[in-house]
This record gives sequence, structure tokens and C-alpha cells, in this order.
Amino acid sequence: MTDTAQDRAPPMAAAPPSWKEKLEPWFFILPSVVLLLAIGLYPVIYTFIASLQAWVMGMGPPSFSGLDNYIHAFGSSDFGHSVGRTLILILVTLPIELILGMMIALALDSTNFAILRRLLQICLVIPIAITPSVVGLLTQLMFNEQLGIINQLLHLVGIPAIDWLGRPTAAFITVMIVQIWEWTPFVALVLSAALSTVPKDIDEAAMLETERWWPRFRDVQLPFMWPGITAALVFQTAFTIKEFDMIYSIEKGGPGTSTETSVMQIERMAFRGFDVGLASAESILMLVLSIVLARIYIRVFYREMD
Amino acid sequence: MADFRATLLRALQGIALVVVLVVILFPLYWMVAGSLKTEPDLFAIPPKWFFTPTIAAYVDAIENTDVLTNLLNSVIVTGSAVALGLIVGAPAAYGIARYRFRGRRDVWFWYVTNWMLVPVVVLIPFYLTASKLGLINNPIVLILVYQVFIVPLVVWLLVDQFSSVPVALEEAAQLDGLSRIQIFLRIALPLVKPGIAVSAILSGIFAWNDMLYAFILTPSPEARTAPTIVLSYLGGYVIPWPQVMAASTLVCAPVIIGGIIVHKYIARGLTMGAVK
Amino acid sequence: MKSFTLAVATAAALYAGVNQAHAWSLSEAAAPYKGTSITVVGLDRPSYKIAQKLTPEFEKETGIKVTWNIFPYEDTLKEETLNFISNSQQFDAILSDVVWPVNFADPDWVLPLSHFTGDAKLADPNLDLKDFFPVWLASFTVNNKLYGLPFDSYAGLLYYNKSMLKAAGFDGPPTTWDELAHTYLPKLTDKSKRVYGYALQSARGETQTADAFARFLWPWGGKFIDYSNKTVAVNSPDAVDGITFREGLLKYMPDGIVSDDHSQVVEMFAQKQVAMITEWSAFYPTLSSSNLGSDLGIAPEPKGPKGAYSAFGGFAYMVSSQVNKKHQNAAYLFIQWLTSREMAKPLIEGGAVVARQSADEDPSVQAKFPNLAPMVKTWETSTVPDWRPQLECYPRFSDIVSDWGSRIELGQVGVKPGLDSMEKDLTAYMKSSNCWGKINNPEAAMLLYK
Repeated sequence: MTDTAQDRAPPMAAAPPSWKEKLEPWFFILPSVVLLLAIGLYPVIYTFIASLQAWVMGMGPPSFSGLDNYIHAFGSSDFGHSVGRTLILILVTLPIELILGMMIALALDSTNFAILRRLLQICLVIPIAITPSVVGLLTQLMFNEQLGIINQLLHLVGIPAIDWLGRPTAAFITVMIVQIWEWTPFVALVLSAALSTVPKDIDEAAMLETERWWPRFRDVQLPFMWPGITAALVFQTAFTIKEFDMIYSIEKGGPGTSTETSVMQIERMAFRGFDVGLASAESILMLVLSIVLARIYIRVFYREMD
Repeated sequence: MADFRATLLRALQGIALVVVLVVILFPLYWMVAGSLKTEPDLFAIPPKWFFTPTIAAYVDAIENTDVLTNLLNSVIVTGSAVALGLIVGAPAAYGIARYRFRGRRDVWFWYVTNWMLVPVVVLIPFYLTASKLGLINNPIVLILVYQVFIVPLVVWLLVDQFSSVPVALEEAAQLDGLSRIQIFLRIALPLVKPGIAVSAILSGIFAWNDMLYAFILTPSPEARTAPTIVLSYLGGYVIPWPQVMAASTLVCAPVIIGGIIVHKYIARGLTMGAVK
Repeated sequence: MKSFTLAVATAAALYAGVNQAHAWSLSEAAAPYKGTSITVVGLDRPSYKIAQKLTPEFEKETGIKVTWNIFPYEDTLKEETLNFISNSQQFDAILSDVVWPVNFADPDWVLPLSHFTGDAKLADPNLDLKDFFPVWLASFTVNNKLYGLPFDSYAGLLYYNKSMLKAAGFDGPPTTWDELAHTYLPKLTDKSKRVYGYALQSARGETQTADAFARFLWPWGGKFIDYSNKTVAVNSPDAVDGITFREGLLKYMPDGIVSDDHSQVVEMFAQKQVAMITEWSAFYPTLSSSNLGSDLGIAPEPKGPKGAYSAFGGFAYMVSSQVNKKHQNAAYLFIQWLTSREMAKPLIEGGAVVARQSADEDPSVQAKFPNLAPMVKTWETSTVPDWRPQLECYPRFSDIVSDWGSRIELGQVGVKPGLDSMEKDLTAYMKSSNCWGKINNPEAAMLLYK
């Protein structure tokens, strides 16, 4: 739809707009804006004020402390590392999910096993439908070094037991594996929806022209998948930034802090350490980071919104 | 020769898809199987593929927790939250898709920002406000809070859908004397049904699965939503895995079934603007 | 001497009971609160299960309705603190871990018990505070005022698998950590068969701080805080010795141990993959009903080079100061009933652990519950009430300990440098949060009850 916005003059834009016409879009938009302002904006302002205070819950009333919390947050290697881990999680899992998801979508599109296609199309939605904390629990159960099924299955094919959860790097990789399991099918779903919109005649014409798959992929399929790829990117980035339940229920960010993402670090400061001031400052920094990321995505992918 | 290669390729492709299917379904199978096993069977080495199923874990979960009440709470909260999100979100998406006005881009961007809002950020202020209003343990508080991610999701998915409704259709309706509201309700809305189904199921999944907000804002046993049951098992000294798996199965079943029911809309509702 | 005191106390209690039988009864005391509905915070652990099961008796006798609100341990302090901060009055009977009393008492979120025990209408003349173990009363005393009645009280114990020990040539359990590490573990561990001598629950959080860190601090002469000099002492030479010893155990333990919590360790022990664990006394009902059967052996925790300092943990019930008077009194009546002498035995029979001397030391009860004798012995002779320090800033303090403790256990940092960093972070935090002025020293309160 990149070029449609210009092509398709909205019906009301023909004549110079009267004030009534100017207000008309707001009639549709305002209810949701009011609702979101009431629910979403106030807490952010509150958090911003709290971020400027020295406030440990239960240890006396808050007092103004300027930028102390921000200085502390920047100086804390804990917070820095957790942000780094979050970004690595996004940077590693996202491309893998996109590639795997695309492969699944393409295979689904061309397979002649109709039953298999139908079955998979139904099942692709399952991983994101499973409650994330249940996914975490299942991970804890299945990846357990001594008792888990994964190591037992590996044992059957002669691979020695892997300590999935007990070592920092392995645990982080386990989290990535689970995240990829959770989201690849969704990406495949979105992309396969996009592929189904490729008009038959264009596709057939392309297939007559060449037998090689690459030109067909590049010139016919990819352009149709592009919006889906964008959507998957935005969706998953937001989700990884917010991810809490799944990783927390595996092993609370452990061993040590090796699987602790920034949201988990903030939660730990706020609700385990009760340092509301520091947690608020970290929250505001995270908010800024996600706005920057959102801006980048939109700048790159959603140009038609101008 | 070429035929043989093509056949082989197709076969390999089929096998790959079967592997994908197995990988997707295995954890689900392990959960359901675990809920029907006894604890020794669940941890047996080598793993037990054949076992005598028992529903003891379900009986235990239903008897010892409020899982049924909590499931009902979840249905009420999720249903209402999705309905509210659609009621305010769909018109907003229509407004953004159909009008060019100043601040359009900013409004749209602001919705997306809300979708990225990290829940922990707003948890404490939410709690304190809800407490002041006497809304702790009241499902209304969750229904409202979930709008933070439902409205942006609905707007995001539906802007694309409304944009792909042919303008000519609406212009014709306008010539017939229909007002904009009538056009929205009678022409545009029915055409984006797949988009509505998809945004409903996706926001439903996220609302249903939320635990961070629910655990803080509705802590009392009767007010909790279903996923928190699963977490509450974890606090014990010993995790009764079969019961945890039974509770997990009960909690996940409604969303999975919901997802399967609407799956046929997904192809048309998740096109993300690919349809021209 | 001891038994004499006990006899006098019992006699006095009996006398008081006879004398005031007509003056005080629960149903009479509760009459003004009939129909009141109170909320009690609990955990998903055996003691609370049986307490929930017995609660209808209280409801029947008093007409007070009791709602149990069960939280995971990790979330309990958060839920209770939010409840107090926002004054939302959700909970009437407050559950306090042994490390939280100062958090609740200092801001006056809970009431001193004298508030109720001084009221003849409410106070059960048979309450008999002296029947609780002194170490437990001291633990819930802040500024010389008692705030909570102990419930769900633990001591660390050594659980061992008799037949695994026997097969390795041992007739009994080790009595010192040295013996455990150097004599027992090499013979009990066979990694190729995935059988291990010992497993130590070490998961991040309070498990790392208490179970995996404090356990190896005290028996080597280390401690968290030097109260007299107002310094953090976690990097003393003694502490370095203890934690170095802990690192030496790793080679006899399953690989994923740093991420394992109570449940995994208990599960491995029950599955006979591990020969010995050190766990809370509260685990006895769970383990005795597992498939270990008669293989289950119980002993006090081993001694360290500087003596026996077993793990000490548990809870007490307090009354919220924010709810109205009716709720406060009803909650007090419930707590008093739940922790009473009369309830102690039925609770133990149902799988609970309580800190009532009369029940825990009763030979007929001990005969049925072998976890009680070593538990009593620990409370009387081999632990300290500030096994973990009582600081108002404890949650974050514990988080820092657990953070560096896990890093050391993971081998990401050496013992000495790790403990130095822990000390540095703790000292900085104690200062920045003004925590030195908000310390409770339960050890000092021991004098009140001895």
C-alpha cells in the first residue's frame, strides 16, 4: 500500500475542507485517544516524577533527588547489561525467525500435500497462543539437565547431556531457542497470508518465464511479503522488549543474571528491591529506547504515513 | 531425471514440513501428556511414551484451586477488554485510514508507541490509582489497563484493512445519501471482518495471557485470572508437575481453540496491507 | 532445670486454664466479630495447606469468615508492601518472613501484640508465650516489642538416602561438613551413572542468599554484618574459607545446580539421583510420602570448623494496623487460635511445622515425625536468629548477596574478588539507603525470652 495513499484521494478531500470536515476524522479517533490518554499517559508522567525522587518503598516518604537515579542507572552495569541482552535477543532471534518463517511460508505455498498444509496452517497459531509463563514452565521441565526430555531424546541419538539451564551462555541460548520456537510460526503465518495474496496470473506468468526459483522469489513473492515482514519485525521487537513472563518462569533471569532482560531488571529493582525511584528512571530510559526503535522502524518501513 | 529430482524435492519439502509440525506440537503434547501422567511417570528415565492416563491431576487442580472461577474471570475480562478495544479502536483505524488531516502521522505513531509501552513502567502508578479508586480486585481495572495494548493493536491491524477497501464503493454509497457513520458501519466494517477477527484473536491472546498486571491488580483468589493459577503453583516448595501441567492445559485450551476457530480469517486479516 | 520450668509452666497454664475457664472462651471473645470477614496471607506450602483445612473449625466456633490469599513466596513481600503503601486494606493477618519484621514494624504497618494481649477480652489466658522457642519470639521482636506469633517455622536439616549411604559403606550420616565433603562425597558420586553425593539448591533469589550462601558463611565463622563496627563482613577471611569450601562441593553436584531451586533438588533426591540434601524441616511430609520410603534418613545439618549454625527460617503472623478495629481484633483471634498450644498437634499431624515446645518435644509426636528432634535441637543449640540480618533494606541487600553469590558459584568471578565486590556493593547500598539506622538485632532480644 506504499503508493496507494497518494493514488487514492480520500473522498472528503476534494473540496477545501470546512471546519466540520476538519473535525470529522476526530469524531472517529477521539474516543480511543481519550481512553488511551486517561489510561496510558498519566502513569508515564507519574513514573517520570518518581524517577526524580529518592524513594525506597517502606523506607520513608519520597524526596526530590534530581538526576541521581539516572546517574545511578547509567553507572549500573546490571542495567546496562540487561539492555544489551535485550538488544542481542532481538538482533539474533529476529533474523532467524524471519528466515525460518519465510522458508516455512514458501514451502507451505508450494507443497502438494494439501492435508499437511491445512494442518500446519491451523497449528502455526498455537505457540503464541500458549501462555508465555506456561512456555517458560515447559522449558524448565523439558530442558532440565537431569530430568528433562530434551536431554533424554539427545541421549537416544548418542549426544551427551547438555546443561541447558545451568550455565550462563547455554541458558541464554535456551531462551533464544524457546523464543524462536514461539515466534517463527507466527512469522510464517503472517508471511503465508501475504503469499496467498500473490495473484495467480502474475505467478504463473513468472513461472513460464523462468524455471529458477530466485527470480520468481525476488520479483513476485518478496514484494508481496514485504509488508508482512515489516509487521513481523515491529510486532516481535515490541514483544521482546516487553518479554517478562516466559523468561521469568524459566529461572527468574538466572543463572546469575545471565538471562535477565531489561524489563526483568526493572521489575527486580521495583518489586524485589522496592527502589521505586531507580526503577522509574530505568523505565523512562527504556521508554525512550523503544520510542527510538519505533521511530526507526516507521521511518524505514512506513513511509506512506507522511 | 528432472521428474525424479522434482519428486525428491517435493518429498523432502514434505518431510521438512512434518518436522516443523512435530517441533511445534511436541511441547503441547508433552504438556497434555504430563497432565495425564503420575509424577513418577512424568520423570521416568527412559521417558514413558505409553502410560495409563489418569485425570487425578485435573481433579486435584479443580478441587484445590479456584481454577474454574479464574477461567470464568478470564473469559469476562478478555471478552470485555477485546470488545471495548474494538469499539474504540475500529473507528479510530477508519478515521486514520480514510482522512488526511494534520497530526495524522503523529496520532498513528502515538498508538504504536503505546503498543511498545513496557508494563513494568506503569505498574506502580496503576496500582496506586486503582487502590485510590477502590478498584483493586475489580475486573474493570484489568479491562481498562489492557486497552494500553489492545487499542494500538486493533488500530494498527485495521488501518491496513480499511485502506484496502475500495474507495469507489464508499463514494457510491455517499452518492446514495449515506452519512459517513452509515458508510463506516454498513459498508466498511463488514468488509474488514477478517481484520476484526484477527485483531480480536490476537488482542484476546495477549489479554488472556497477561500475568504481570493481573497478579498485581487482582490478587485475591476469587478475582484472579486463569494464568496466575499456574504461577501460584510455582511458589510451593515442591512443584507438583502433573497438576501444573493440568492447570496449564486448562488455561491454554480456550485460546488455542479460539485461535483454531478463527484461523481461516487469519490469511485474509493478517495481510498487513499486502492486498492492493 | 529445663523440665522443671516446663512443668511449672504447664502447671501454671493448667491452673490458669481451670481458673479462667469460665472467664474466657474463643466463641465468647469472638461474639462481637461474628460475621466479620478477614483475609489471611498464606503460601503454597504444607503448613498453610493444613491450616486452611482446619480453618472451618475456627469459622464454626467464632462466626468469623476467613479467606486465605495464597501467594508464591517470591511475590508475598511485594503484594504486602503494595497493600500497605497504598493503604488498600486487602489483608488483615499479615505473614512475615523472619527477615521482614523490621520492614513492617518500623513504618507501623503492623501492631505490637501487646495491643491485644493486654486486652482481657481478646487474650487467651492459655496463650502461653513461653511455650514458643525463644529464638522464634526474638526473631519477631523489634525494639523490644513482640509483633508476631510464629507459624511455619523451619530449621535446616540433612536429609540422606540410607541405602545409598549404606551401599557406599557408611552406617550413618556425616556430622561435619569436612567429613561430608572429603569422606562421603567421593564415594557417593558417580557422574557416569548420573548419581551425585550432594545437591545444594542455589537458584537466584532468596534461595541463593539463604540456602546456598548463608549456609556456608556461619559454620566457618563468617557473618553478614558486624553490628558493633557497623561494617559489612561478607568478605572476612572466615567467609572466604566457607565459600571456597562451597566451591569445592560443585564437582560432586549435578551440573545445572546453580539454576536449581528447592523443587528440583528435592525431586532429584526423591528420584534417588542424589544421596544427600540440606533442606528445611518443612520438607519432611513431602519426602516421607515420596517413593523413598524407609530409605529416608534425617539428621541435623553438619557442623563447620567454627561450630554448628544450621539454616534458620520461617514465618509469623502479624496484625495489620491499617484495617479497622473489628478486623484487627478478628484477625488477632484467628492468629492466636492458629498458633495456640491446642492447635499445634493437629497442625503437625497434618504436615505443618510449628515452634511450640510442648508439641515439638512431645515424645509421642517425635516418634511419628523424625524431623522434629533435629529441628528442636537446632533451634535450641545450633543456630542464630540473625542467620540472615534483619534490615529494613533487606530485600535489595539479599538481592546483591544473591547476585554475587551466583556469580561466584558459576565461576564467573573468583571467591575472594567476588566477596570483595559483594562487600563493596552492600556497603555502598547500606549507606545510600540509610540502612544502618534501620537494623533490628534479634540476637539482643534473646535476653527477653531466655
